Amino acid sequence: MGARTETNKGLEIEHTPSSNFAKEIEAEPGGEGISKCIQCGICTASCAVSSFSDRYRPRQLIQKIIIGKRDEVLQSDLPWLCMTCRLCEERCQEGVSPAEIFQAVRHIATREGHIPEVFKSTAEKALSDGWLLGDAYSDFIEDDRDDLGLDTDLGWDNEFTHRLKKKYFSGGEGD
Amino acid sequence: MTIAKPKTSATKGKWSNKALVVGGGVAGMQAALDIADQNYKVYLLEKSSSIGGRMAMIDKTFPTLDCSACILTPRLSEVQRHPNIEMLTYSEVEEVLGSAGNFKVKVKRKARYVDEEKCNGCGDCVPACPIEVPNEFDQGIGFRKAIYIPFPQATPNIHTIDKRGHAPCYTNCPAHVNPQGFTALMRSGDNDKALKLVRDAIPFPGSLGRVCPALCEEKCERASVDDPVSIRNLHRWLYDNEREHGGYKGDIPVIDKKEKVAVIGAGPAGIACAEKLIRLGYPVTVFEKREEAGGLLRYGIPEHRLPRDVIADEIKIVEDLGVKIEYGKEISSVKSLLNKGFKAVFLGTGAPVSSKLRIKGEDSTGVYHAVDFLDKVNRGEKVPLGYNVAVIGGGNAAIDAARVAKRLGVKQVTIIYRRSRAEMPAIHQEIEDAVEEGIELKVLTNPVEAIESKGRLVGITCIEMKLGEPDDSGRRRPIPIPGSEFSIPFENMIIAIGQRADPKGPHAELDMTEWGTPEVDPVTLQTSMENVFAGGDLATGPGLVVEAVGQGNVAAESIHRYLQGEELKEGRPETFIEVIPEDIKKQRFGVHPRASMPKISIYNRRTTFKEVETGFDAETAMTEAGRCLNCTVCSECMECVEACQREAIDHNQQDEIIELDVGAIVMSTGYKLFDVAEYPRLGYETQSNVITAMEYERLINAAGPTAGHLVRLSDGKVPKSIGFIQCVGARDVGKGVPACSRVCCMYGIKNAVMAKEHDPDVDVTVYYADIRAFGKGFEEFFEMAKTRFGVKFVRGRVAEVVETDDEKSLIRVEDTEDLTFMQNEHDLVVLSGGIQPSLGMRILAEDVGIELDNDGYVKVEHPLLYPVDADVDGIYTCGCSDGPKDIPDSVAAGSAAAMRATIVLARGGEVK
Repeated sequence: MGARTETNKGLEIEHTPSSNFAKEIEAEPGGEGISKCIQCGICTASCAVSSFSDRYRPRQLIQKIIIGKRDEVLQSDLPWLCMTCRLCEERCQEGVSPAEIFQAVRHIATREGHIPEVFKSTAEKALSDGWLLGDAYSDFIEDDRDDLGLDTDLGWDNEFTHRLKKKYFSGGEGD
Repeated sequence: MTIAKPKTSATKGKWSNKALVVGGGVAGMQAALDIADQNYKVYLLEKSSSIGGRMAMIDKTFPTLDCSACILTPRLSEVQRHPNIEMLTYSEVEEVLGSAGNFKVKVKRKARYVDEEKCNGCGDCVPACPIEVPNEFDQGIGFRKAIYIPFPQATPNIHTIDKRGHAPCYTNCPAHVNPQGFTALMRSGDNDKALKLVRDAIPFPGSLGRVCPALCEEKCERASVDDPVSIRNLHRWLYDNEREHGGYKGDIPVIDKKEKVAVIGAGPAGIACAEKLIRLGYPVTVFEKREEAGGLLRYGIPEHRLPRDVIADEIKIVEDLGVKIEYGKEISSVKSLLNKGFKAVFLGTGAPVSSKLRIKGEDSTGVYHAVDFLDKVNRGEKVPLGYNVAVIGGGNAAIDAARVAKRLGVKQVTIIYRRSRAEMPAIHQEIEDAVEEGIELKVLTNPVEAIESKGRLVGITCIEMKLGEPDDSGRRRPIPIPGSEFSIPFENMIIAIGQRADPKGPHAELDMTEWGTPEVDPVTLQTSMENVFAGGDLATGPGLVVEAVGQGNVAAESIHRYLQGEELKEGRPETFIEVIPEDIKKQRFGVHPRASMPKISIYNRRTTFKEVETGFDAETAMTEAGRCLNCTVCSECMECVEACQREAIDHNQQDEIIELDVGAIVMSTGYKLFDVAEYPRLGYETQSNVITAMEYERLINAAGPTAGHLVRLSDGKVPKSIGFIQCVGARDVGKGVPACSRVCCMYGIKNAVMAKEHDPDVDVTVYYADIRAFGKGFEEFFEMAKTRFGVKFVRGRVAEVVETDDEKSLIRVEDTEDLTFMQNEHDLVVLSGGIQPSLGMRILAEDVGIELDNDGYVKVEHPLLYPVDADVDGIYTCGCSDGPKDIPDSVAAGSAAAMRATIVLARGGEVK
């Protein structure tokens, strides 16, 4: 390709990656395909999240991995926005799966403690009462269930969650 | 990798200094010319009907923007004129044996149904042909006839008939009416010729158009789209239309033969036989014992299905042709006729004797047999019927008798049939009509006794039946359920369970079968007397009218051969090769339901003998004729034969296998384009404004279907904005085509530039992943496209094309240089498809005995040192046979392969 145009000067990219982050991703399960990416952008153009967001651009995120911006990527909430619908994977002509790559990114980020607040609180909520939608079970839904002849008492108890938590998050003392 | 090539050892004595080039594209032409110029004989084999290959289809070349045809056409004539080149077009390689210097090649020369020596390409046949199909050369966006040359400069300039066997309707018709042919002639507005074509098979287009069960429609391929074409009603319309407009317009044959022929029985078989013979020029006399002609058509089929004047008119036409019918003349001896000077006799006396139920009480008063009953009614005789009438049987005679009884005022008519409704042999529409008219069906019921009181029928005892395993007829065998007998009161019973021949007829002088029918040869219908032939119900037992007509035709052919002293059996029975359903192109046909037949009111149907079905109007008939799929493309309507003044057309031509001895073979089999429909997200086939690059080439070509006007095929509007999508079916791991096609970048840019050449104001955008402008002048051309022509280039692969409400194509893409998520609207989208090994390459490689590489191209001996050598000595490759190439590279490879081949030819098979 010809030289970059004037308007792109501001985005001048160094040609040596600033870290070996791409290699690290490649070694992580799911991240193997990253070196095949030719940055064609079909993932971004196909992405359902991208079409509703001005920030989320899978190709640019992969570009950041390739050029070695390890800290920026791991500390960002962007890899967490992927819905894993895998349309990018379906359409990529090079056999790359951005969805898998971002999964690998999230694994590394989690290990290093970079979890966006909303994900953390969601996980905690699930661990606390085992039911993410607990707050959503309103009187209205109860009435609807009643109208439909369904049992309104969901018989929900936290026993299972407690045991799960005990086993996996409290030093394995559960039964 | 070993570089040294093994030596071959063809014996000098068997050495051939001729070469074979497989594939007549630009590379193959170059190879052929270069070999021929060195004074070796070359066979240039081409699968399609003309050489020229892809280059002939392309509008302009890159990067020079030369007119492709202007460069290629002189080459085409050079090949044609060259004394050392023999073109074998419309041919395929079947098998290659032997080794370098001594190959034996079997070549199939496909029948083009046109004599290559006689045809001078004048094209008189083309306007005569009524069949129009998409032209493959124009990528299906233009049309050609069934007889065609693919493009004006086709070489050789010989027409080809695209004929793919016989249509199922034609083969399934016992009389071999040609529905595809006559509907095609109807569509081209020639109803007289259409009717003539029907009459070539049957003398009763009007009568059979009313009563035939239409076996043709049972096999009609249109049923796989929606419903079968209403073929029967169409030839009925042709007849009705002719009659409305002055009657018979066909030829009157000249009777130029001396041998007199006698036909006994003026039923469908006899009349058909007589009509065929009179058209062949024989004086024919038909002897009919009754007062009117038509046989069962006249006396067995009720008036509400076949008005008397229709059958009378059709008989009169046959008489007008010169057939003499002697009425009221019963012939008791065939020999006496022969003694009177008739040279041949056809017996078609039918099966007028009703079969009996063989149950108790069958002879009591009030019991009729369907044939006698219908006969009486048809003659106008009064038949006393009571309140409750039972009709026994499920065939057309049963339905006819029941509907006639209803029309005679019977309150309660019940059809009793031993199998279920699905197994009834009657025409299904007729059964439905009968039920509509208030006739009751009592199926899975069989009479066991006719109850009589004082000699009069008062009721019938029946037994319930169930269905067992299928019998010889393929229908499930009815089995009585023991103890299920019951009685119903009836005042009349009409038995319609079949008929048989009268054993006392004139055929008694001949050898007979145990069923009292004359013994006939199944192929020729010849009886034990060599100049006496028999057919129709007499020979076969009760059958369909159209079967009898078919037998009349067969007998006429036999009599003609007999009288001319020709071999009766040669080439008979005629074999038909039915078109393979997969070969029938259906995708371009939208669903359009079968025309329904207008009928008179139900009140009239119950009370009068008026014809129930009133026939199509002209518009309905034309629309219905337009539903034919043209299964076999050529319909054998024979219009071209008539149009050709050089008698070059031969519809009986057969494929031919020839054997060639050659010393070397050059493969130049070209490529096929990736089927872009495999990308549903890009909308080809589902969106009308998404086309392929090759379609675009034909669209902008002055000799193309739009005469070079770049318009949208959907609405004919000139596009104001065009998007070109690159790498469709190339460099795609997921689709199994990881390799680059090498030419798409440049032809894509060329197409974009040509859009600007056609209309400088048009907005043109090329969507690409990267531009590979590697050849001489390519990068400059790319720059010129951007700077001089103002083509926009967006770096980004297109995710999807979506059709908007205002018929634009919305492209979703990320501009990876601008970092923007774009949604661009275009009027037209062109997909630049990748290229792949040509269709059938794998089979051809097996036949030739060469290896292919992983991508399916010809594997070369060594990519650097022997780039045009296949892995078998004496076989070379050029053009896109061994991988994607542009035109200059293909031609260069052609010359290289030619040189490698002539080394073999010169050295007597020894390769260094």
